[in-house]
Amino acid sequence: MRNFFSLSPIFIVAIIFSLPAIFIFLSLAQDFSSNWVHLVDTVLPEYLLNSLKLFIGVSIGVFILGVSTAWIISTCEFRGKKFFSWALILPFAIPPYIMSYAFTGLFDSYGTANDLARFIFQLDPETVLFPSVRNITGAIIVFSFTLYPYVFLISQTSFLNQSRDIFDVSRTLGLSRFKTFFKVALPIARPSIVAALMLVAMEVLSDFGAVEHFAIPTFTSGIFRTWFGLNDLTTAKQLASILFMIFLFLILIEKYSRRKILYTSNSTSNRELVPTPLKGYKEFFAIIICSLPIFIGFFIPFLQLIYWTIFYETSFFSSGFISLITNSLSLAAISSIICLSIATIINYIIRIEKNNFLSFINKIITSGYGIPGIVLALGVLNFFLILDNISNIILTGSLIGLIFAYCVKFYAVTNSSISSGFKKISINLDNVASSLGSPNRRILKSIHLPLLKSSFLIGTLVFMIEVIKELPATLILRPFNFNTLSVSAYNYASDERMIEAAAPSIGIVIACLIPIIILIKLIGKDEIE
Amino acid sequence: MISIIKFMKNLLLIFFILLLPYQDSFSQEEVNIYTSRHYDSDIKIYEEFENRTGIKVNYITGKGNALFERIKSEGKNCPADIFITVDAGNLWKVEKEGYFQKIKSDKIAKLLDKRFIGPDAKWIGIAKRFRVIVYNSDKFDKNKMQNISYEDLASNDFKNKIAIRSSSNIYNQSLIASLIYHNGESKTKEWLKGFVSNFSRKPQGNDRAQVMAVAYGEADLAIVNHYYLGIMLSGKSGEKQKNAAEKVSVAFPNTSNRGVHVNISGAGILKNSKNYNNALKYIEFLLEKDIQKHIVLNTYEYPIIDKVEPSPVIKGLGSKYKEDKLKVKELGINNPKAVRLMDVAGWK
Repeated sequence: MRNFFSLSPIFIVAIIFSLPAIFIFLSLAQDFSSNWVHLVDTVLPEYLLNSLKLFIGVSIGVFILGVSTAWIISTCEFRGKKFFSWALILPFAIPPYIMSYAFTGLFDSYGTANDLARFIFQLDPETVLFPSVRNITGAIIVFSFTLYPYVFLISQTSFLNQSRDIFDVSRTLGLSRFKTFFKVALPIARPSIVAALMLVAMEVLSDFGAVEHFAIPTFTSGIFRTWFGLNDLTTAKQLASILFMIFLFLILIEKYSRRKILYTSNSTSNRELVPTPLKGYKEFFAIIICSLPIFIGFFIPFLQLIYWTIFYETSFFSSGFISLITNSLSLAAISSIICLSIATIINYIIRIEKNNFLSFINKIITSGYGIPGIVLALGVLNFFLILDNISNIILTGSLIGLIFAYCVKFYAVTNSSISSGFKKISINLDNVASSLGSPNRRILKSIHLPLLKSSFLIGTLVFMIEVIKELPATLILRPFNFNTLSVSAYNYASDERMIEAAAPSIGIVIACLIPIIILIKLIGKDEIE
Repeated sequence: MISIIKFMKNLLLIFFILLLPYQDSFSQEEVNIYTSRHYDSDIKIYEEFENRTGIKVNYITGKGNALFERIKSEGKNCPADIFITVDAGNLWKVEKEGYFQKIKSDKIAKLLDKRFIGPDAKWIGIAKRFRVIVYNSDKFDKNKMQNISYEDLASNDFKNKIAIRSSSNIYNQSLIASLIYHNGESKTKEWLKGFVSNFSRKPQGNDRAQVMAVAYGEADLAIVNHYYLGIMLSGKSGEKQKNAAEKVSVAFPNTSNRGVHVNISGAGILKNSKNYNNALKYIEFLLEKDIQKHIVLNTYEYPIIDKVEPSPVIKGLGSKYKEDKLKVKELGINNPKAVRLMDVAGWK
């Protein structure tokens, strides 16, 4: 009985969270229309190929950017390190679709960068210096530079929490710093990094805005085209189910690849790492490596946005603007706190039950992240319709629907920081506490929660930023007269009225900065260094 | 840690209070609109309607298809009274699936051309848009271009000269749907082969980007919706776009035969509307002369009623054109066929 009560939350959440996905999966039971033949014969192979290229390219990109910067920040001491440790999160505040607009605004043949170059070097107007970015390479760059902060944040936490003893042993045994990184630090951080890469992969593969703008037909744009163009929602849902199954498959592989390996720290001393001071050219390189992602991922697009707003009457920054920011932030805060609580309870149960099946169920819940927003919204609508009919309270079109959708979609990001937080708390601590007679609840309250502080903060931060940026589900599920920053930006950007879209886009960046600043304050000095 | 939890609790409370005003109020006369038109100038129309009638307008913007899915999912609980969208195909789809009800208005019947009233008066047009050709006048003979047809664009004369946006775009799908209606499927398939092989670059960007491409020499000719030229020429999008739009010339295709491809923005009253009378008032209101004027001056669409002139900027594009008289519902019917043919032709 005890078992049943302690396990029930995870099953309830699992069932509720997977209902939208189940509604989409039900499509597989329906007939496969003739459109399938058409798709396979004409466009599907290209969709798959493009998605695969993006997946591989972006994975490599975010891995290099995220891990290298995290390693430098965690293990070295150099000028500006404190600034970089939070500034490297900044590109997160720019949604990939906004970044893609900024990039084409810069690098199209009539873009700002080409204009500037022609002006400086006095070239004739036909000269085009920068290559077109409206292709897969461009998209890989955009995704890599906006999404690497996932990898950065998670691997930084992981490096910081590796015991200094391990490094000392490795160096004593004669491994260079370089080898220590590849042979010791990286393998230990592997589960966290892989989890972050999974998030990035799901975000990239379910993206619609950026790939549409770059005119790259991917699997997800194929889903939309089938739905809207061929008027075939069933086939679109079937395609979405397949995408979903690909994610499940990836999750399984990841799970399988680290079977039998226990990744918790057993060290009792856990002395903190002492960063190595860098001097001369090494310091110079560290600064360059850390500046590059901030420069390309944040400053360049941000400057382009500012440049656009200069053209626009500033009337946008009025009372309406404030209400957009409050709406976005309120939604983000409410749903992040709800989702964080759920993730903590679930991960706690998994920890005390030490049940592999449960942690697998938990993984399944995280795959909501891979459902394209608009398809997810559709599932939520179907689910709430049933709720409405049972309860006689109309929830559809209320903020509750929206918050629910956010929780389903972004549970993955909260979960990844909470679960890696739990993982780094030594099991011995629990054992000692419980052998001293502490009840489980007290262990959670006095041992786990305090140790999870930084995981909480990172989880909240990432979740809030995701919600502020989220577009397709917000667009379709929001109540009357309710606008958010991303909706407002979309309204203009979908028409490529970038000059007008720039102001709300800057609003998104500002709104994302607010949680970042609060969190930096809350985390406090010691956690950053 | 405890302080953080407290802090978050307070935060939660504050934000809940901030969001409260957005829960529905039931006290007032209202009309609820789902619209895929997301122009700032439409908000002025809502306000004007509230001023004149005292009826509160509630609205959500979004993609037409997605909003329709919401309407379907909400079923009889759907709070919306009116659905407004920018493509005839979408209107047709809603009507076909039975989500519209008859708009009982003699006023509208008198005012509108029958082309712009759906079967059984289930929906009406509120503004028109043409899909026109822009071109570099240094590269083509102007007189010849005034007699050009969409059908000509498959010929070898236009090899590597044409810029157009992706085939995922509904404007292109509607255009091809109209060609399928007029010329039949197999002829259109043949035509698409030639047309696509004439592209100067991979389809990319929106209609504005096509105008820029012609102005900057990346293509000699492009197909775009006319109102983008209006917005660009107005200078609202900056000097650069204005200059580009001034640089290109405009041709209305098929003037010598059936006329230029016409699509509409339109509206209908939803089956489960709880405020039918208010909804009817609103739709009639959209056809008022001054509101039509407001629309054409701000969005640069063509007016749906004859008594109103297009914006001066749009009149400047030319007045020698004919409108394709096909019933706009045909665009919806032929849309899936159009997408399939475009896939086959390799139009990305």
